[in-house]
Amino acid sequence: MKKTIITTLLGGMLLLPQFGCEKFLDVDPAYTQDADNFFNTPVDYERALTGAYDLMQGSFMSVWIGEIASDNTIAGGESVTDTKGLHEIDDMSHVAVNQELRNVFRWNYAGITRVNFIMENKNKIDFQGKDKILAQASFLRAFYYFELVKFFGDVPLVVDKRLGADQVTTLDRTPKAEVYKQIESDLTYAISKLDWTAAEKGRITKGASTALLGKVYLYQDKFDEAATTFQTLIDQNLYTLIPNYNQLFTVANEGHKETVFDVEYTGAEGGSYGCLICLEGNAGPGFQGIRQYNGPVYGDGNSYNLPTKNLYDAFASGDLRRDATILDIDAFIAKQAKPADIKYAKGAGGHTGYYNNKYIKRQTEIGLPDNDLTSPVNYKVIRYADVLLMAAEAYARKASPDENKAKTYLNLVRKRVNLSDVTSSGQTLVSDIWNERRLELACEGHRFFDLVRTKQAASSITGFVAGKHELFPIPQVEIDLAGGNWKQNPNY
Amino acid sequence: MRLLLKCVVVCCTLYGTAVQGQTNVTDTSGKMEDVVIIGYGKATKKEFTGANSSLKGQSLEKLNIPRMDQALQGQIPGVVVSTNSGSPGGTSSIRIRGLSTFGDNDPLILVDGVVYDSEGLNALNPNDIASINVLKDATAGIYGVRAANGVIIVETKKGQLKSAPRWEISGFQGLQQTAKKLDLLNAREYAVLKNEMFAAGGEDMPFKNTSLGEGTNWQDSIFKLAPVYQYNVSVSGGNDKTTYSLGGSVYDQQGIVGLQKANFNRLNGRANFDTRLSDKWKYSSVFLYTNEKRSALPENGIGSVLYNTINAFPTDPIKGSNGKYTYLEEVADIINPFAQMENTHNWAWVNKFVGKQELTAEINDNLTFTNRFNYNYALVDNKAFSPLVWFGPGKAQNTALNANLDPTMVEIAPDVKIERGASVSEGRATYGDLNFESFLNHQKEFAGGNKLKTTAGISVFQRRGNYLGGTAYNIPNNSLDFADISANLAAGGYLNNVYSWEFKERLLSAFVRSEYNVKNRYFLSGILRRDGSSKFGPNARWGWFPTLSGAWMISDEDFYNIPWMSTAKLRMSYGVSGNDQIENFAYRGLLNGEGDYIFNDIIVKGVAIGRASNPDLKWESTSQFNVGADMSIGRHITTTANYFVKRTKDLLFQPEVSGVLGTAGPGSYPPIINAGDVSNSGVELDIQYQGAMKKRWNVAMGLNFAYLKNVVLSTPKGVDFIPGAGFGVGGSVASRFQKDYPIGFFMGYETDGVFQSQAEIDNSPVKQAGAKPGDFKFKDINGDGVINFSDDSDKKMLGSPLPKFTAGYNLSLSHKGWDISMQLYAAVGQKIVRNYERQQPYANQLSYTINRWTGPNSTNEHPRATTSLTRNTVFSDYYVEDGSFMRLRNLQVGYTLKGQRLEKLKMTGLRVYLSANNVYTLTKYMGYDPDLGSVGGALGAGIDNGFYPQARTVMLGFSIRF
Repeated sequence: MKKTIITTLLGGMLLLPQFGCEKFLDVDPAYTQDADNFFNTPVDYERALTGAYDLMQGSFMSVWIGEIASDNTIAGGESVTDTKGLHEIDDMSHVAVNQELRNVFRWNYAGITRVNFIMENKNKIDFQGKDKILAQASFLRAFYYFELVKFFGDVPLVVDKRLGADQVTTLDRTPKAEVYKQIESDLTYAISKLDWTAAEKGRITKGASTALLGKVYLYQDKFDEAATTFQTLIDQNLYTLIPNYNQLFTVANEGHKETVFDVEYTGAEGGSYGCLICLEGNAGPGFQGIRQYNGPVYGDGNSYNLPTKNLYDAFASGDLRRDATILDIDAFIAKQAKPADIKYAKGAGGHTGYYNNKYIKRQTEIGLPDNDLTSPVNYKVIRYADVLLMAAEAYARKASPDENKAKTYLNLVRKRVNLSDVTSSGQTLVSDIWNERRLELACEGHRFFDLVRTKQAASSITGFVAGKHELFPIPQVEIDLAGGNWKQNPNY
Repeated sequence: MRLLLKCVVVCCTLYGTAVQGQTNVTDTSGKMEDVVIIGYGKATKKEFTGANSSLKGQSLEKLNIPRMDQALQGQIPGVVVSTNSGSPGGTSSIRIRGLSTFGDNDPLILVDGVVYDSEGLNALNPNDIASINVLKDATAGIYGVRAANGVIIVETKKGQLKSAPRWEISGFQGLQQTAKKLDLLNAREYAVLKNEMFAAGGEDMPFKNTSLGEGTNWQDSIFKLAPVYQYNVSVSGGNDKTTYSLGGSVYDQQGIVGLQKANFNRLNGRANFDTRLSDKWKYSSVFLYTNEKRSALPENGIGSVLYNTINAFPTDPIKGSNGKYTYLEEVADIINPFAQMENTHNWAWVNKFVGKQELTAEINDNLTFTNRFNYNYALVDNKAFSPLVWFGPGKAQNTALNANLDPTMVEIAPDVKIERGASVSEGRATYGDLNFESFLNHQKEFAGGNKLKTTAGISVFQRRGNYLGGTAYNIPNNSLDFADISANLAAGGYLNNVYSWEFKERLLSAFVRSEYNVKNRYFLSGILRRDGSSKFGPNARWGWFPTLSGAWMISDEDFYNIPWMSTAKLRMSYGVSGNDQIENFAYRGLLNGEGDYIFNDIIVKGVAIGRASNPDLKWESTSQFNVGADMSIGRHITTTANYFVKRTKDLLFQPEVSGVLGTAGPGSYPPIINAGDVSNSGVELDIQYQGAMKKRWNVAMGLNFAYLKNVVLSTPKGVDFIPGAGFGVGGSVASRFQKDYPIGFFMGYETDGVFQSQAEIDNSPVKQAGAKPGDFKFKDINGDGVINFSDDSDKKMLGSPLPKFTAGYNLSLSHKGWDISMQLYAAVGQKIVRNYERQQPYANQLSYTINRWTGPNSTNEHPRATTSLTRNTVFSDYYVEDGSFMRLRNLQVGYTLKGQRLEKLKMTGLRVYLSANNVYTLTKYMGYDPDLGSVGGALGAGIDNGFYPQARTVMLGFSIRF
């Protein structure tokens, strides 16, 4: 009897899953989309693509590092422990434990993963316009990988698939050359599918793809390819230098003819410090704003990324770009109606008396609270002046230089700000182009990478150790999380 | 629903038709005849083969601690209760036998059989509790996949058959104050120190005049004397068929920081009813109602009121000469805490209905059949009003554009701007648990006095939750009076927002337990449970959970002959249970990440993967071995001792994963995986003394003690450690989950004094980049001659947040009408990270900085003060303190009136008392309160982010019976 009962009980328990009870446990999340049954309509592809664009909004971090690491700016901020990673980079004392470098690493891979999610499913359905979506996605992947290569050199190359957690430990760092090959191939695909212009503001175009490809060539010292690529773009006559240099970065003037490729931001969504990558606004202008400022024109901010005297003095006295680039705060206040009423604070993270006047919080360009984080000002990744200067450099440095073309493009940039033509040649011309790049593009996030690329970093940056600081260290925690097998960059 | 019914029918048919329910237990103590509730049944203490501890309701009541979780502290060996927040309505962490998981370590709490989450424990009134039984070992396995963290079984008060109505009215009125204030710099000390810091950093000194005297003591002004009260009324009784017990209470506590702004108010109602419907049928009903209202201030961390108080400058007054709150300029994230309190409007309301309807058939003397239906329904409402406020230039918390409180303008389309004014957020979450349980209890007696008891049954559980909430802008007049969503004036509704979520989870279980009793001396018990949980994917949804246990009543053997030990019993148990406490749908990859971008100046909603999927996800399983003994020594002493080893494998982790997986995007998270092993082992000892001394003094004493060793046995493949809580603002990682160390141990640099001179740095055999005189000298742990700040090679273990030993001591003395009692609690061996100091040049600091390094041989303990970049703020042993403490938790004197005078008043008892909680704490810890729980999971334990301390309370109370 007992045996029968026990057998029945055990039997019953064993069979529990079979009595239709399995269905009882099949609970679907209500009204929610699942990653594995997506990509059923063209709209699904569109939306996944929008998700892949999102990570470009983390560009403010690359811009900070690109300037702070160079001779252009110092880290600034409230104290030296306020975003300590930037202060260490400023000092060239940065090590593999650095939250800001880790953000660059992780955010760009998040963007790549979102692109790969689309690519993994690219053959699921066919529809008209799919190639344009895939082309934009390819561009984005190239952009994210290019950021990674600029910062870290060799990085693991993952293409067209998502990885499982245990697959990461089998990855190694892919040689830079191979990553560049992928970047070039993605950009070439984008160029082949996209139109020169896009109806929608903020969309990647063939123009943007071409400009980025030229830049990628330039970073590999492939001057011939770079020159050809830039020439193709210039010949399209799509872009011009806008007359007023002061109007380049204003919200009101957004989308002007000099914009080749920008990252879009808005002030229409609030934000908090808890998640900077979640912001829809640009964190740059607020962080770079004047600390505790209460006067006209500008808003108050966090005094990050402050231009140095070295940069201020680099401008010739008649160069109108100096004041457009650098705000001399004391001089500005002195010129106001009631200077005594205007106050601001010096951050203990450093004070130079100068602020970044290109990307700064202005009272007419304020987003929702916390408005230090929600600036609507777009970040200009590539503008036409940059294209012209890159083209000039490519022509001046290619195996058989075309110095006339180089000078033409260089002088176009100078003419806009009423400067006289450069007439030099040879290495002097190359140096003149480099110097023009610094002045024209100061505080836009290019300087450190230009110095490294042109091998001027050791002579320009205090504390820069050749053979070490050309690359940033791979964040130690990322090495650990990937199984500890990656070799760190030299001398870290 | 049809499916559910089908399952029930199938399972019930399987088990035939059958029999006996539960009896009410109102008294549990260490005696062998006492009855303990063990899950779907009961057993005498003698018969029970597991390791448990039980508490009578009276001992909780007597402590006068209106929070159930805190009332448990120090009462039961092996149950460690630490406070997550001392604010009214705050919560605690309850840990039974250590930390066995990275994730949710909360035990399963059942109130009259109804599942209660530990956060909801505040809703219970300790005065409604008849008994608490804690199942600590594998015999908790009768609850299968939810039992791995132990089970707390709470029974509420029931009436007694054939008794006249018994009324009880009790209450207390009390005052609370902070038990401690931090030793901070006064204005003069502050100014001197800051001048030195700025000068050392090569900057202008901020204070020309340092003769500023005491300045403002922000703490003195923020901490208030706050009232607290509770009143209870209850009545119970019964006739020969029916019993009833009704209770009601009101409790109100204001905060020592914020008073009404940090208030907790609770109303409880309880109705228990049991009746015999016929010879065979019994009906039992439990109904508990709770209404809570809580207002809360930002607490525990950066931006909290106390954090702002600690870091506020003593040189600034609270209000300026213009009568307005000062701005505390210079620092963007420290705001005036008084302005902050005044502008915080934040409430939560809970309405909770918990109950059970039970029908029991006594089929014959040996067989009962119980069917019960449990429910737990809660409505949780929240409301927050955010006015336009200006805390000062550059403050992150500003909602207004300027001091005139002008609203921000939002561009909703090119060149179209609208105002964004004060806002209000409101929302309601609804949770509903439904649980049907059906089980048989059978017992059979064999010739020779052997007995077999069998319990078999099924349980079907479903929990649903949903939320609907919204935020609306432009509340008229920037005023709380109009703070309602429908009052909004947001142009075109452009700014307003709505949110919602919903979930459903289900658990289907069958269980059987057999207990065999040989001659009332040998006891053997086996449990088998099968659980299916919707939390896991189809690949790993079902699990088996077996337990075996046995006991030997040595003192009943004929050969037993130890006169001073009147009873002796040996116990042993081994079994496997599970932990399924993870988010729902964690096995699936949902597209709930954030993927928004701006096209044509408008935010376009894209999609992105939220948490990565893991279809093989399953529960954690814990196997536990326990050996123990229960003994009575002489007439007055009973003791219980246990040794246990508990091993948890397949830990549910959401570890940080490689950035290459792309999980660091907005709204994206790593997958939850099963990996890693943890072991907890320890010893528990409980000694109770009850007796009479000379001259009519009665004494009762209890001492309990627990030792715990927690160690991580393995981490996921390829992962050396899992980083935990951070240190400082945007700083380094302080705690870890790593093989061979306790969960959440602290890892950092070890200091070896302070460099006294440049010569010392130059001559040091160990190179420390960037060191200057007055900086910390770190130890070269790996001995390579260089202090490496780039990797972990020079870091070492700096301590564990888990106490090695915990102990509780209760004493009560009574003499004639007088009674005196006290309770002590001690936790020893844990460390706390001092993380409430803002590493910012202008922030105020603790007074130890007065003894900073100022020149050669000034001190070897504290580093120099400077605003320049140093390594002194990296996470090191300098920031880790000994968190050991012993606390006199309760001290009480009462007087009970008896006799004729009372009879005239128709009373049977009247007691008045004076009681104090959190009376005195012996500790070296510098912060407010060493009794620190965990904010942010198992790896956040022992990190003090500016914790809201528990108050010291003095209460005057009474209880009347008639």
